[in-house]
Amino acid sequence: MSDNGKDIPVVRMENIVKRFGTITALNGVDFSVHRGQVAGLLGDNGAGKSTLIKVLTGVHTPTSGQIYFEGELVDIPSPQVARAMGIETCYQDLALVNQMSIARNFYLGRELVRRIGPVRWLNVRGMSQKARDALRDIGIHIRSPNEKVGKLSGGERQSIAIGRARYFGAKLLILDEPTSALSVGETRKVLAYTQAAKERGLGVIFITHNVSHVYQAADTFTIIRHGELVGTYTKDEVTEMDIADLITGERER
Amino acid sequence: MATIAARLQPARRWIIESPISGPLITLVVVLILFSLFVPNFLTVRSMSGIVNAATLTGTITVGVTLLMIAGEFDLSVGPMMAMGAFLFGLTVEGGNPVLALLLALLVPALMGAINGFIVIRTRIPSFITTLSTLFIYRGIVWLFSGGQMFQTIQEAVIYDVFNGRLDFLADAIQGANFRTAALWWIGLVLVMQYLLVRTKFGNHVFATGGGIGAAAAQGVNVRRIKVICFILSGVAAGFAGVLLFSQFKTVRIATGAGEELKAIASAVVGGTLLTGGSGSIVGALLGVLIISMLRTGVVLTNLIPADNFEAIVGVTIVAAAIFNHWVREQS
Repeated sequence: MSDNGKDIPVVRMENIVKRFGTITALNGVDFSVHRGQVAGLLGDNGAGKSTLIKVLTGVHTPTSGQIYFEGELVDIPSPQVARAMGIETCYQDLALVNQMSIARNFYLGRELVRRIGPVRWLNVRGMSQKARDALRDIGIHIRSPNEKVGKLSGGERQSIAIGRARYFGAKLLILDEPTSALSVGETRKVLAYTQAAKERGLGVIFITHNVSHVYQAADTFTIIRHGELVGTYTKDEVTEMDIADLITGERER
Repeated sequence: MATIAARLQPARRWIIESPISGPLITLVVVLILFSLFVPNFLTVRSMSGIVNAATLTGTITVGVTLLMIAGEFDLSVGPMMAMGAFLFGLTVEGGNPVLALLLALLVPALMGAINGFIVIRTRIPSFITTLSTLFIYRGIVWLFSGGQMFQTIQEAVIYDVFNGRLDFLADAIQGANFRTAALWWIGLVLVMQYLLVRTKFGNHVFATGGGIGAAAAQGVNVRRIKVICFILSGVAAGFAGVLLFSQFKTVRIATGAGEELKAIASAVVGGTLLTGGSGSIVGALLGVLIISMLRTGVVLTNLIPADNFEAIVGVTIVAAAIFNHWVREQS
């Protein structure tokens, strides 16, 4: 690994093909993300964005193609394996449980427990304090770690999901439509957290329809249409307008 | 003025945030109203009667509430209770009380596991699944019992352990007709409440019922959680059968009929959401007590025929559900 591995992509997907019966959802797509980089993944509804991400997160097995994680050829058979590798996905609506508190959401599936012999119980106070501290360190200020997530705004929820992924050592953060339901102010905040995650050296995949949001946030833009790769462009190669045209197919590559 | 408001602030927050504040307020209001207007209501005798009448449904409600918090229903608790009572009665009669207890818990546990597996394998809603096993299990009880009721006049220590009279209380206080079954029920409530709010398992129950997708995405084994809750619902129903047989020493095929809806009603009055993800076992205990209190109160008033008590329950469920919703909305 040369200079702390910065030029080795966190993840590189090569020639990914995914067929469902006779339908080809992905036909030879290449996609990669480096550390400290935000990679925009764009395409119209049904273009294959979410199929590609589901291949990466172990939900679907590719029909053919290779996935390299930190330079190593890997097999990702399940979401659990993807998580163990450090791939965290923040889904639009599925990130948090609304009826549970911030602290309980933060530690969901990784609860802190105390134990005496075989008897184990939740370290409720520890989880509250640590969740508050961890979020504050990332720059997210909350009123109380015991507040129910359902009482928060969409932007606050999104930021807590991002903060949680970062705190638990994610190497690759996948944001699925992170700004689609947010107000202008909240969008700005979420974009700022995305930048902060990138500056800490995470690879970030930013999936969206919204060209203007992704244009602010991302370093590269990968566009797919009808399951085919249209191309991957850096910011100085394309304008917002170019990207929109490439998504809809009004202009060919 | 400001200081009074400030002092009231913690109380206000508790009312808004605690899942049991709604049912607790309802219980106190019902208690006060009946005490004021119904003679002989606020007596040790009627209080112990209210608790005793609540115990069996209350025990079933513990499991049903847990399952509802996990986002599922169990309509098959009635025949599981009857199965528990038959197994317990017959095996105690055969001279083996320990095996009797084990069978009365394990067989309903297995029935609960079957409910759970059908739900997670087929994804048929649990309302439909357990509606059909309600009839199937009633049929199994019929086959098992040969269509006969079972009763005994034999005495056994285990009957007193599970549902004996607390004579020392009755001797000390006039009319204090409490039974050991109430202690088992309250113990079960406390254990379950602890499991629910202070363990990883409980956290996963809330997460499964509140947001199954988010829970699964965080690595919660939601299918396992659901199956465990179905099993616990069966165990609680079987245990209610043990308590029932210990008291009446009689069990029929129809034993437990209608308990499933009483349990769901009690859970809702106790603040548990029908949509899952929110609720309390202690709240469910309060819910059962509220309904039992209404029954006793209505009987004592003589205004409404006791047979028409169900109508009052219906009104209460709606009123309590509206009230609990209103409390929730305040935050």
